Amino acid sequence: MEASDLSGHISRRFNKDIEGLRNMVLSMGGLVESQLTHAIAALVTGDSELGLKVANDDYKVNDLEVSIDEECGRILAMRAPAAGDLRLIVAVIKTITDLERIGDEAEKIGFLASKLAAMDRPSDSYRELKTLGTHVAHMVRDAMNAFARLDVDEAFKVVREDKEVDREYEAIQRQCITFMMEDPREIKRVMNVTWAARSLERIGDHAKNICEYVIYMAQGRDVRHTGISDSSDISSD
Amino acid sequence: MSESARKFVINLVLFLLAGAGVGWLYGQTQWGLLTFALVALGWQVWQLLSFDRALRTGNFDNFRVGESLWAQLFSRFRFEHERAVRRKAGYRRLLREVRKSTDAMPDGAVILDANNEIVSCNRAVGELAGLKRKKDKGQRIDNILRNPELVALVNGGDFERSVEIPSPVQDGHWLNCRVVPYGADQKLLIIRDVTDRLRLAKMRRDFVANASHELRSPLTVISGYVDSLADDDELPSQWVKPVQQMRSQSQRMNQILRELMELSRLESSGVAANDNAIDVAQLLSDAKNTFDGQADGANIIVEAEPRLKLLGNQAEIESVVVNLLSNALRHTPPDGQICLRWQSDDGAAILSVKDTGDGIQPEHIPHLTERFFRVDRGRSRDAGGVGLGLAIVKHALLRHEATLEISSEPGNGSEFRCVFPANRVTGSSADL
Repeated sequence: MEASDLSGHISRRFNKDIEGLRNMVLSMGGLVESQLTHAIAALVTGDSELGLKVANDDYKVNDLEVSIDEECGRILAMRAPAAGDLRLIVAVIKTITDLERIGDEAEKIGFLASKLAAMDRPSDSYRELKTLGTHVAHMVRDAMNAFARLDVDEAFKVVREDKEVDREYEAIQRQCITFMMEDPREIKRVMNVTWAARSLERIGDHAKNICEYVIYMAQGRDVRHTGISDSSDISSD
Repeated sequence: MSESARKFVINLVLFLLAGAGVGWLYGQTQWGLLTFALVALGWQVWQLLSFDRALRTGNFDNFRVGESLWAQLFSRFRFEHERAVRRKAGYRRLLREVRKSTDAMPDGAVILDANNEIVSCNRAVGELAGLKRKKDKGQRIDNILRNPELVALVNGGDFERSVEIPSPVQDGHWLNCRVVPYGADQKLLIIRDVTDRLRLAKMRRDFVANASHELRSPLTVISGYVDSLADDDELPSQWVKPVQQMRSQSQRMNQILRELMELSRLESSGVAANDNAIDVAQLLSDAKNTFDGQADGANIIVEAEPRLKLLGNQAEIESVVVNLLSNALRHTPPDGQICLRWQSDDGAAILSVKDTGDGIQPEHIPHLTERFFRVDRGRSRDAGGVGLGLAIVKHALLRHEATLEISSEPGNGSEFRCVFPANRVTGSSADL
């Protein structure tokens, strides 16, 4: 009788730990999402102040990564989780690395935005970058939603979308090369645009990675490097 | 004890007595009693079993309304049962109506429990913020709506505030969110689409900025000619005064336009960066030196903590100080005194401008930061104010996450306090 009471108590505390960990990851995700939207807004509207603010606020993301990492270590050491709980912890450890990288890329974009704000703006005000940025921001948002809801279908959707982002990135790159060939004086500015596009494309990759961890967490299957057609089969069952 | 229950007991006792009597006739009293008791028990068991069957099958035909305890029991049961069914249907209908009406609401509403977990939400939330009604029940709201400002609002205890966040579903849409506590630990999160309102405000801002900009170029031409006319020695004497007035009025117009443009710039930009530490003590003494040079001004005193620095935009804080100080000078007689103070207060920092002037009537205080608001229309125009100074102060402070507190006693003077939050302050004595 006493023993079962005790284990119930421990498991309740354990549940609380796991729940708290999930909340921490999602609040980190929220911070990264808002950093990313601000960075894109700074880039598109030429707001150098906002861009610098994003770059200066990256430390908050880093701090969260460190404290979540510590919490994971603590849970692993104290609770020795198994099965689904272990998968969750493993997925969290990987997810926060990707989130932190997304934060770094957002920081980079913020810097580039403040640099680009001081230069001439093209007539289309970086419409392509805006499209790519919105797309990528949606991917990050959907990835975090999939994480919160353990929604495998949503996760697969994001994984598939990454191809689209790659294509958009390629188009921007081509365009940038054309600009540079047409007018070598523009090279400095266009290089910055290329870097920003590159960062956005990387963020798309990180969002895709997070979704793969979500699938791993929910189903225990590793879908990395397996190609989409195989993955779709898994999603149907 | 009810009538039928008493009857039941009397009948049972009589039956058992009869059994004992029959047994006594045969010289076997206890056997007679036992037999009749078994018969009575068997009858009651039979009644109980058929009651149970009737309850399970719902077929109550074997039980007719009568005088016996079982029949009474049954009819009371049936009465309560039917009433409960009716009541349940009524509640269900009511619930459906309530749900229909909340679904018809254009604003989103989410019911949260003490742990901020979603209890239920209406349909509009799905369209506005992407919540899934079935799937997200029991999820914490800050796991789904992860905007840091909203998370701070939901987890914080300040329910007077509301935040505006970009919609996570519709690009370009903005949502106003506020939390209303109710019941024991329950909270209602109300989400409203304010895109149109914000767009309207932006249009107004843009219009003011554009109009001021457009008015400036013709005004430059006019004031240029007026200036050269005023400096012309051959100007007929009857024109000297009019031209002087034209000159001062065109300068005034220029100032109004400049301040309007400054104001719309402040309004349309977000929160100021916090990477620049401003030496407020230095700034205050500079301001004092500038204004000390003016004739017949009140006496200015500066009390500042030299180590306390403010993180923000130097030019904007300068304009806050200049605006507050020139306001104070305008309303303080030459023998009065103005005190500029910069001090830390429990982590936060306060910039205060206190004068011994004529003070402000309490009913005017809430309107002071409105554009072109004047307490006394005739007087303050002569004193040279444009009417935008405090509006500029308010918006510059908003950009620094600070608040403006105004206290005043008519006849004794006023105090304008700018309260800066702790994250905008460095080098206070609390840090050391």
